Amino acid sequence: MATRTAAAGALMTCAALLAATGCSSSFGDSAGGEQDTGDKQRLTVLIATSGDAETSSVKKAVAAYEKKSGHTVTVEIAKDINQQLAQSFAGGNPPDVFYVDSSQFANYAGAGSLYPYGDKIKDADAFSEQLRTSFTHDGELVCLPKDASTLALAVNTRLWKKAGLTEKDYPTTWKELETVAGKLTGDGVTGLVTSDEYQRLGVFMKQAGGWITDEGQTRMTADTPENAEGLGFVRSLLRSGSMKYAKQTDTSWGGEAFGKEKAAMTIEGNWLAGAMKHDYPDVGYEVVPLPEGPAGKGSLAFSNCWGVAAKSSHQAAAVDLVEHLTSAEQQLTFADAFGVMPSRTAALEDYAEAAPEARAWAEATAYAQGPVTVAGFEKVATQFNTDLQSLRTTDPEKILAALQRNGEQALKKGN
Amino acid sequence: MASRTPRTARRPGPAPGGAPLPAPHRGGEPPAAGPPGAPDPPGGSGTGPAPRVPRPRGAGRRREGAWGWLFSAPMVILLGLFLVLPILMALWVSLLDWNGASNPFTGQARFVGLDNYRSLFTEDGLDRTLFATSLRNNFYYVVLTVPLQTGLALGLALLVNQRLLRARGALRTVFFFPSVTSSIAVATIFLFLFQGSGAVNALLSWIGVKGPNWFADPRGVFSLLLGALGVVDPEQPSGPLAEHTVMGLSWFEWLSGPSVAMCTIIMLAVWTTSGTFMLIFLAALQDIPRELEESAAIEGVNRRQMLRYVILPALRPVLFLVLTLGLIATWQVFDQIYVMGQGAPGNTTLTPAFLSYMSAFDDADFGQGAAIAFVLLVIILVMTAVQRWVLRERGDRPGRKR
Amino acid sequence: MTTESLRTAETAEAAGTAGTATAGRETRPGRERGSPGRPVLPRFPLPLRAAGYTAIAALGLLYLLPFVLQLVTGFKTDPDAAANPLGMLPVTPTTAAYQRLFGLSEAADGVPFLRWMGNSAFVAVVVTAGRVLFASMAGYALARLRFPGRGLLFGFLIAVMAVPPVALLIPKFLVLNTFGLFDSYAGMILPLLVDAASVFIMRQFFVSLPREVEEAAKVDGAGVLRTYWSVVLPMARPALITVTILSFQGSWNEFTHFLVATQSAQYETLTTGLARFVSGGLGGGTQYPLKLAAALLATVPVAVLFFCFQRYFVQGANSGAVKE
Repeated sequence: MATRTAAAGALMTCAALLAATGCSSSFGDSAGGEQDTGDKQRLTVLIATSGDAETSSVKKAVAAYEKKSGHTVTVEIAKDINQQLAQSFAGGNPPDVFYVDSSQFANYAGAGSLYPYGDKIKDADAFSEQLRTSFTHDGELVCLPKDASTLALAVNTRLWKKAGLTEKDYPTTWKELETVAGKLTGDGVTGLVTSDEYQRLGVFMKQAGGWITDEGQTRMTADTPENAEGLGFVRSLLRSGSMKYAKQTDTSWGGEAFGKEKAAMTIEGNWLAGAMKHDYPDVGYEVVPLPEGPAGKGSLAFSNCWGVAAKSSHQAAAVDLVEHLTSAEQQLTFADAFGVMPSRTAALEDYAEAAPEARAWAEATAYAQGPVTVAGFEKVATQFNTDLQSLRTTDPEKILAALQRNGEQALKKGN
Repeated sequence: MASRTPRTARRPGPAPGGAPLPAPHRGGEPPAAGPPGAPDPPGGSGTGPAPRVPRPRGAGRRREGAWGWLFSAPMVILLGLFLVLPILMALWVSLLDWNGASNPFTGQARFVGLDNYRSLFTEDGLDRTLFATSLRNNFYYVVLTVPLQTGLALGLALLVNQRLLRARGALRTVFFFPSVTSSIAVATIFLFLFQGSGAVNALLSWIGVKGPNWFADPRGVFSLLLGALGVVDPEQPSGPLAEHTVMGLSWFEWLSGPSVAMCTIIMLAVWTTSGTFMLIFLAALQDIPRELEESAAIEGVNRRQMLRYVILPALRPVLFLVLTLGLIATWQVFDQIYVMGQGAPGNTTLTPAFLSYMSAFDDADFGQGAAIAFVLLVIILVMTAVQRWVLRERGDRPGRKR
Repeated sequence: MTTESLRTAETAEAAGTAGTATAGRETRPGRERGSPGRPVLPRFPLPLRAAGYTAIAALGLLYLLPFVLQLVTGFKTDPDAAANPLGMLPVTPTTAAYQRLFGLSEAADGVPFLRWMGNSAFVAVVVTAGRVLFASMAGYALARLRFPGRGLLFGFLIAVMAVPPVALLIPKFLVLNTFGLFDSYAGMILPLLVDAASVFIMRQFFVSLPREVEEAAKVDGAGVLRTYWSVVLPMARPALITVTILSFQGSWNEFTHFLVATQSAQYETLTTGLARFVSGGLGGGTQYPLKLAAALLATVPVAVLFFCFQRYFVQGANSGAVKE
């Protein structure tokens, strides 16, 4: 009975399968479909937001563009932008304009999901060269860098005073960090709170003189003693209780713990400024450079670009929108609203002058390390982050050995 | 876990009408619609079901044949298009290295044969470690959830079956209510209850217990137990347990049990599904002939003996049914994972179903995702086959013969 | 397992038998055999009964309390909810969460609740209507109409019921994508229109119906369609109600299918919208009053149906549509 059913089912569906693949419409052709050139186009923008501050300023900027151009633009907030983009690329109806994180850029550009519009931008040279390089694929500038951020140490000034510390005590070495974190901990406050991911904890690997890959990203260098030393330091902080992961304090990221004064210090990027202004305006804080490790300074750099979908049917309007969003004026507005640093060289200078309180972040651009951008590395990074969640109870060398092994496989597959 | 009522309703075999109905009033059911065993109705007798009543002949019958296909057409087309066809498509995709950017049915994606399966089972690497981890997690989830929910459901059924209990109707409603609500909504409530400074820990602190940080605690409960007994140091596992590995995980990792975070999901599953299974037991309890109990009472048995020698033996078939339904459903846990853990902390809430989703939609590795889905499909189909086979062999279907 | 469940069962048994004779008179139409209400075994002594009732109350509370806390927390402020998760009365009662959900206040970004509600309702109603119609048609054909391949079809149905929905996530995405249905209402609805379990329930019901009425209709010259529509369907009311309820509940609570069938915010339903809102999002913070209020409202329709249905189902059954 069962076999007969199966056979019949197989026959029926083979026919259907043939029919289906014959008329499949959505997959395939990497070129955009019919281009819409009308005056009243409908565009969709997908962003991953650091909070209400970022959301509302992007919406404002987009509204201004709507007025100027006559198009209608919907801003959607991604809850998990990587997943939503992957699903929409495969589904064949991606948003027209969206954030592309530099760590994902290689994957999307390699798969042909992005419309390379660099040659349409006349003043592309005005953007920071370093950032332009990170969004270039096969010698072609694919998308315009949106902004840049680095990591620094934020300090709650009230809790600082309460613990009997002064400005002189701002930590400049690991040893000092350990000491002040211990002093600040207690009474519902944790000295240092940050996320349990390499995008934060990696600063300690950098400060110890290590990093996940070599400079050209051709070789894994995860299992070095330097990296182990960096993570070992984090582990000792975690074990002493003077450092906690954000989740352990019932918050979703370091900034939230910091704003709710559950943390006296956090390691976060420029977006912290926007979140603090918007959500926790009464909390006094100061941003200082991250303490130096045995090998000196170390920070991480992040950037996004404004991707335009290869399958968008509004490419011209989308590029037009991106130009509006990346104008020097707009970049300074964003910088003011949620703290990210302009990607235009001239605008960055203006920003550094106008916002001296963010100096620590601006200075860190000089030595900050960018994320690993090898295609297919996402999975490895996720696993590394997962392992970091249990860093308190696991040997750092074991975590790094796994990272080394997994990364080598990814490199082999990717090349 | 997947035992929301509609899913359970999809379950095969006996008692399709009885359990999933959100109404415990089994009196309302058409008597014959309840008990039919799936395995043997006309399907078993092949194409020509023997008519009980002689039919009017010839033309009428031919016309009836056309109507029959016409009436079944929507079902055939929709199930064919959205159930059978997708499975075949996914089977094909599981043999590809496809990142979702091209059309997988035109040869643009690289054909890699069984590579996706190989990397799950035989190749040392990240994929295998993740897969093994997800199997381990789901195994512990099953092993804890199924007995707990079955035991609790049986207890609740015995409770609300008491003829003398006040307000048993209301109780039945209360116990069953969590089962009919949306898994997402209920998971949201549990997220709130089990926060580090949430309601559950507040309750625990009343009795002087400092609750763990439920959703951020990746430590296995078995390893915590062993640690408390001083057998191993869960912080620094050493010795043979840590040195030997199977499928990329050390013995210690295999044996450490469900994490604290996973335990909250287990509690959620037990809490939501016990109501559904309670109704299955209740239906069976009400079908135990009263004469049997009465004659036992005349013999002078006490409650314990009544339970042990009269009630439980009568429930055995339905107990098997509930256990296997639980087994099948718990291997499909997805919704709660999506809301409550997404694999975190430390991959201890990663299950094969979620891993399959994640591989495809987060890492754009659809071939790998489809391969995991197929392994899961096989696991579940094997269990379903065993269930049907055993229930058929028994000959007597669980419960409710009048 | 056996000893464990045995022990649980015994405890429950011990706790449960407590009660008084009056309670036993609760009516269970047509169900109880023997002398209804009379216990087989004698009651427990009073102290034991009291203890039993306390235990039962605690057990009931365990099932109720989460919902009560959910209701209460919806009216709290964020800091209040965080500080007093067990507080039964909000310190400063507020309807801010509900105002935000219904778009009455600003900052409703990311929680287009009315849109979710509308999508859920639309999809659930269409799916329910489709399922009832198609399941009754297919069920009738499988039970009554004679046609070549019927046994095969029934076997197919049984086989299909064994396929676990979660293994179909990627497959469904592939097929919707191929047909260009991804991210559309059609893609959300079509695959749910037929549910094997509903067909099965309908078939089993029709098998149980006596043939005489249909035969009589046929003798009177009624065709298949008319027999089905005016004779068979009215008799099938209990089963139709069952399928309606199951379908509505199933499609209202459906999550995984919508997760892979849609991507844009405009197609988010209560389940996908809420799940994405609750599970991630850096900016989402921990706004539990809002989340719990949304979850509560998502539960209400099915809850209402559930409570009404219990009564309605009994009525439908007692109206005598079915006789053995």
